[in-house]
Amino acid sequence: MKTMKIKIALFVLAALIFTSCKKKDDTDNTPVTGKIAISFEHFINDQPAVVNDYSYTNAAGNVYSFFLVRYFISDVELYKSDGTTLKIDDWTDHFYVDTDIPHTLLWNVYDEISSGYFDSLSFRFGFSDAKNQSFMFVNQPESNMVWPEELGGGYHYLQLEGKWIDPNGIKIGYAFHLGRGQHYDGSGNPIPPFIDNSFRVSLPNSAFSVKAGETTNIVLRMNIENWFEEPHIYDHNQWGGDIMQQQPAMLLAKENGWNVFSFHLNNN
Amino acid sequence: MNTKTLRPEIGLVLVFLLLFSACKKKEEDDIETHNPTPYTLEIPHGFPTNVNIPEDNPLTVEGIKLGRYLFYDERMSGKADQGMGMSCSTCHQQAYAFDNPAGQGTGTTGLKTKNTVLPHINLAWNPGTFGWNGSVASIEEDVLLVIPDPTEFASTWPDVIAAISAEPMYPPMFEAAFGSKEITPERIAKAIAQFMRTMVSQDSKFDRVLRSEDNFTESERRGLVLFTTEEGADCFHCHGAPGNPLMTTHLFYNNAKDTIFDTSSDRYSVTNNPRDIGAYKATTLRNIELTGPYMHDGRFQTLDEVINFYSEGLLYSEYAHQLMHKVYPPYGQGAMLNPQEKADLKAFLLTLTDTVFVNNPDLSNPFQK
Repeated sequence: MKTMKIKIALFVLAALIFTSCKKKDDTDNTPVTGKIAISFEHFINDQPAVVNDYSYTNAAGNVYSFFLVRYFISDVELYKSDGTTLKIDDWTDHFYVDTDIPHTLLWNVYDEISSGYFDSLSFRFGFSDAKNQSFMFVNQPESNMVWPEELGGGYHYLQLEGKWIDPNGIKIGYAFHLGRGQHYDGSGNPIPPFIDNSFRVSLPNSAFSVKAGETTNIVLRMNIENWFEEPHIYDHNQWGGDIMQQQPAMLLAKENGWNVFSFHLNNN
Repeated sequence: MNTKTLRPEIGLVLVFLLLFSACKKKEEDDIETHNPTPYTLEIPHGFPTNVNIPEDNPLTVEGIKLGRYLFYDERMSGKADQGMGMSCSTCHQQAYAFDNPAGQGTGTTGLKTKNTVLPHINLAWNPGTFGWNGSVASIEEDVLLVIPDPTEFASTWPDVIAAISAEPMYPPMFEAAFGSKEITPERIAKAIAQFMRTMVSQDSKFDRVLRSEDNFTESERRGLVLFTTEEGADCFHCHGAPGNPLMTTHLFYNNAKDTIFDTSSDRYSVTNNPRDIGAYKATTLRNIELTGPYMHDGRFQTLDEVINFYSEGLLYSEYAHQLMHKVYPPYGQGAMLNPQEKADLKAFLLTLTDTVFVNNPDLSNPFQK
């Protein structure tokens, strides 16, 4: 009888150990989060933008070419169908894109994303004033985006560059650059405060799912022609090659930027 | 053949093999256990934290010392005994921020380099696009290339190795730097590259202002504003700013100084991209006062000429970089600066002169005590 009791006790103990181990394994091995990777594409008229090609005409009738685009996006927010919002900020809250540097065209987001269905996402084009701090980037290429202190400091949100053909048939460079703006007094001195020209891009048609343990591949596509056409028709002949000190031109860019990006899922 | 006579032979072979392998092992151990003194490159205030130091050539005190001697040693031509001594410092002179006041370099045979010599300033931050067209990926590669170049050393590596090996001080220095006395082209290149990465210019007035140790004059301040604004001279997009204190983007631009282009040594010759026709590196403007003549072909002798060019001398071509939007015929050929603005811009540029750098004893000729 005594032996029997010992056997039962040992059996119960073994069962307890076994079940506790099993439970622990179940918890550890079942992922509850996934990842997202964001690819950046650059299109003109629904086709990948071709460099140094003068076959493009904008809404103002300017024949133009595209050479490069560089920009920052920041404060990406993912909106879940249960009403919660996820902010991308675990490792970094911003990303630099440069069409001349291939590795900047893919952002493997560090954050663990809770699995489930997301209705949409949004991000800030450039940096908010609070985050747009001078000297925060010391390394190139980001530090090459510096925005002069005299013009408000911080960094370019955007450098979109190419050439357009003016009424005399001359190819003129355009530096469609966006960053902090400023107004000037009668003698040309800036009147503070500087103007935050960054803006939030909301993509209503941007539903996607994140599956636990998997990576969802998102595409953010910049449709370059949209910088020049809605709601304002932007004419290079009117604004010339440089606009960093032309707040009215930068305001057009800011207000045209609302539909420059579109959302796509990459199923490859 | 009986086993008794065979045994001593086998024994001798075994002993020999043991000795040989022990020796070989010792030599390998010497290299493996070689521990030169690490050298830490200090990152100056505001400079990039990313430095371009190859994993297989870390900076060491011994390597830098060796590189300094080699940089200044005219035996590096391998032809010093023929009256054709030449070193890196023949063209890259410290008093001129390691540039050549003559513009082009003149090789041991009298041939000149196609383009002007470039200064050695903060090369540890070059991302791997050395030279006017960025065709050279590293300093090490550059050293290996200049020895046989007919417009430079016009020599052979065996001759250089023989000349350097004949100098008794070098084998121990190679041993201290690399773990054995062996002298190879790769080791020479590595040592010189280590030394060149210590050529850091970070103590100009511009730097002192950024460190809040000094102040610009009114003229210098106005010059900075012109430098960094599109309505001014718009230099900063290519040549940096306080927030990009290397004073270069390390990128390549056709800066509208020609209408017809020789594409044999421009960026196009490397990339084959039409955007790069007539494009050359935007060199750092640090020590620009000392690094004339200017442009890849040395066409401008003075800073005043350069400023006049950007003010009213730009030439239109369809290959001019898009940032050269001030060339807009028939309306303008440049920034159109007035005399005071030109003086202010020059005043700012002169704040980039680093006299500490050009007098730094650690970078000077070690053969001149």
